[in-house]
Amino acid sequence: MLHIKPIVSSLMRSKSGPLLLLLQIILSVAIVANASFIIHERLTMMQRESGFTEDQILSFNVYNFDPEIDNVKQNIIDQQILRDIPNVIDAASTNMMPLSDSGWMDRFVDGPDEDTAKSMPGFAFYLSNDHWLNVMGAKIVDGRNFRPEEINTRIDETGMLAIISQPLAKEFWGDESPVGKTVYQGEQTIKIIGVVEKLQGAWVDHRNFEYSVLANIDFGGNNSNKTYVVRSLPEHIADLQEQIVKVLHAENPNRVIDSFSSLTEMKNLTYSNHRLMATILSIMVMLLLLITALGLTGMVMFNIQRRTKQIGTRRALGAKKTDIVSYFMVENYIICIAGGLIGGMLSLQLGKQLMSLYSLPILPIVYPVIAVVGLLVVTTLAVIVPAVRASSISPAMATRNV
Amino acid sequence: MFLYYCDLAWRSIKKTPMLSLLMVLAISIGIGITITTLNVYKTMSYNPAGDRNDQVNSIQLWSQGLDTWDEFNTNMTFTDVSNLRNNNELAIKAASYRTGLAMQSDDETKAPVLRSVRVTDTDFFTIFDVPFLFGNRWNKSVDLQPAYQVVIGEQINNTFFDGKNSVGKTIYLNRKPYQVVGVIKDWNPKPKYYDPTNGAFNDAEHIFIPFSLSEQEEFDVWGNTSGWRFEPMLSYQDRLRSEKTWIQFWTLLETTEEKNQLQSWLTRYVEQQRSFGRFTDTAKTPAESAQISPVDKLLEDNNAVPSDNKILVGLSVLFLIVCLVNILGLLLTKFLKRAPEVGVRRAIGASRGQIFAQYMVEVGMIGFIGGIVGLLWAWGTLTLLHAEFNVDPSVTGLDSSMWFVTPLIAISTAALAGVYPAWVVCRTKPSVYLKAQ
Repeated sequence: MLHIKPIVSSLMRSKSGPLLLLLQIILSVAIVANASFIIHERLTMMQRESGFTEDQILSFNVYNFDPEIDNVKQNIIDQQILRDIPNVIDAASTNMMPLSDSGWMDRFVDGPDEDTAKSMPGFAFYLSNDHWLNVMGAKIVDGRNFRPEEINTRIDETGMLAIISQPLAKEFWGDESPVGKTVYQGEQTIKIIGVVEKLQGAWVDHRNFEYSVLANIDFGGNNSNKTYVVRSLPEHIADLQEQIVKVLHAENPNRVIDSFSSLTEMKNLTYSNHRLMATILSIMVMLLLLITALGLTGMVMFNIQRRTKQIGTRRALGAKKTDIVSYFMVENYIICIAGGLIGGMLSLQLGKQLMSLYSLPILPIVYPVIAVVGLLVVTTLAVIVPAVRASSISPAMATRNV
Repeated sequence: MFLYYCDLAWRSIKKTPMLSLLMVLAISIGIGITITTLNVYKTMSYNPAGDRNDQVNSIQLWSQGLDTWDEFNTNMTFTDVSNLRNNNELAIKAASYRTGLAMQSDDETKAPVLRSVRVTDTDFFTIFDVPFLFGNRWNKSVDLQPAYQVVIGEQINNTFFDGKNSVGKTIYLNRKPYQVVGVIKDWNPKPKYYDPTNGAFNDAEHIFIPFSLSEQEEFDVWGNTSGWRFEPMLSYQDRLRSEKTWIQFWTLLETTEEKNQLQSWLTRYVEQQRSFGRFTDTAKTPAESAQISPVDKLLEDNNAVPSDNKILVGLSVLFLIVCLVNILGLLLTKFLKRAPEVGVRRAIGASRGQIFAQYMVEVGMIGFIGGIVGLLWAWGTLTLLHAEFNVDPSVTGLDSSMWFVTPLIAISTAALAGVYPAWVVCRTKPSVYLKAQ
């Protein structure tokens, strides 16, 4: 028997304490549900596989300011120099880095006539040569890589080939293989020759983050400011920086070589806002539970002191120790469940507000449920200690002070 | 009397150390979290233009075609910027974009460095009120007749010229000689309001060169270039002729009259451009196709404060309310326990008001201690944020206003929590407790 009726009527006699507890639980459920949902969302986001061998990739910037430098030739020489450095597995030029927050976005259409053709979704547009996939550790699942003789240097040359990411292929062509298809952009026709399993873009918050295209254009020759990527085993990455500066300056000193960054560092940096949000919210949830638990313990202890006489009387009249413990537990559960219900509704409302104001996804109902269950566990722990202490009040207490 | 109450409060706090500790902990954690998020929010939403907000304006044009972008782009095309620069009705104006150049000086021992550079007009320094250390901005004629002149920052002056007056000296940018005409003092507005489009919390550039050099020097663009239709950019000329947007345009408007005048000029301009076949989105009237935005609007449009931040402030205020409710419960518990004592005091002549005041002082004291501890929490968290998450130091520095805001929030939170318990306890009927004794 849980004796709910006497518990409720005793709660109704001194309303203010239980009401405060109720209010606290309502608010806690609302906060914990929404916060844990946001935390979960961010963690899932950060756990996405990039498709690259992150810890083996080092990128850096070379800026040639000598007007005599022929960028196209220099680019080819520099890449060869980089590949010849001991411990370098492979090297390539690139127009942009994944997970770096800056880069190119573009779109192709599926027909030569601009007015009738269907547009592909926007994608990150990588330009490099036949070495790039090897440097980045991306895996071809369909079709093939570029061949060395197929590499162009300008974006307007004929014979543009593309390797696309699988999510982009699935989105646009469904289960059909895109290999061999032709797509268009203005005057340019592009033949798709391969599909890589995974190839993320530069912007982690972009909805087309997994959509990417790699074209056969060795972009390092287009511009005096170039980015290179080299692949090496993680233990060699640290020494590589110095060697790279040395060998490239030996070739031509009129350039600035800087912005060294491994892909792991870039990934950390680009997700730092999300990691920050998840961390702050987790701390908030833990502190909230702690404060609620401590406050509850304090209140129950006080109640027990105030009710010492009643507890003694009940014990003298034949109540068992477990009856006393269960009294406090049930009292707590009544408040918790009432608060959980109202708080659950409030949290859904709050979730709706957040969704409309900040375009967060809508709060799934499971989060308020988890929050309530979590609170039940925490409050049980908070109540059980003082309740057990109360149950050890001796029946003699009741008779002593009357 | 107040000091006596303080003394009483301190004794009472010491009498129930665990409960008091719990209350201070609750309030300090609540305050700590709220102040942390509030501080980040406040520094991010800071408007560096201050009083000059309404005068410093940027211009945006709806140059895109039908069904393309559904917002104004902060940047403009080279064509529009050139036409605006030639608008003589507008006295003070500056185009601006970011590039990067390799810098050297006559001193051979200093290795060349790649630096980001602001390409702009001389009025830029007037519009943003940039303080000069030596020399001055370049002459206005340079904006029309390009010249290789440069304004450098204090930091560069220190590295390359040992902090001496370098006006008249030469620096080399991509091996071309530029004559230094001015050195500005350390100037690094946060957010970087003159160009919030790529990283509102990036550092300001330390090298400024004339915009009029753009066409002959073909500076790379280190910023966003956006296009709404397919236009290959194979040469710099393609870029200049394209409908791509990449340049910010600023002006200083002292009065609403000037603003209206500019708006009507822009309306006429859009009409004229339409007759040339540009500005093809006819869903907008010519007047709607031009926008003059003061600094606050531009920062808002560019989301200088990320929405994550607003969510955090909201949640932490809710958190503070939970702490408040929690303390309310504990105070009620504590005060009611002392009801017999109050009964005696009432019986020997203390008025209700005095009892109320006494308990409010105690509550205030708890709030004050909680506030100080909370400020320490906030300071600790902000330092941690800076160290662990690459959050910019300008955002994680404790804003000076927080020294006032924190105790204020702390004491008012505590007072709010304490009013009801103090009121309950001051209504204690002395007779009940006297009888029981």
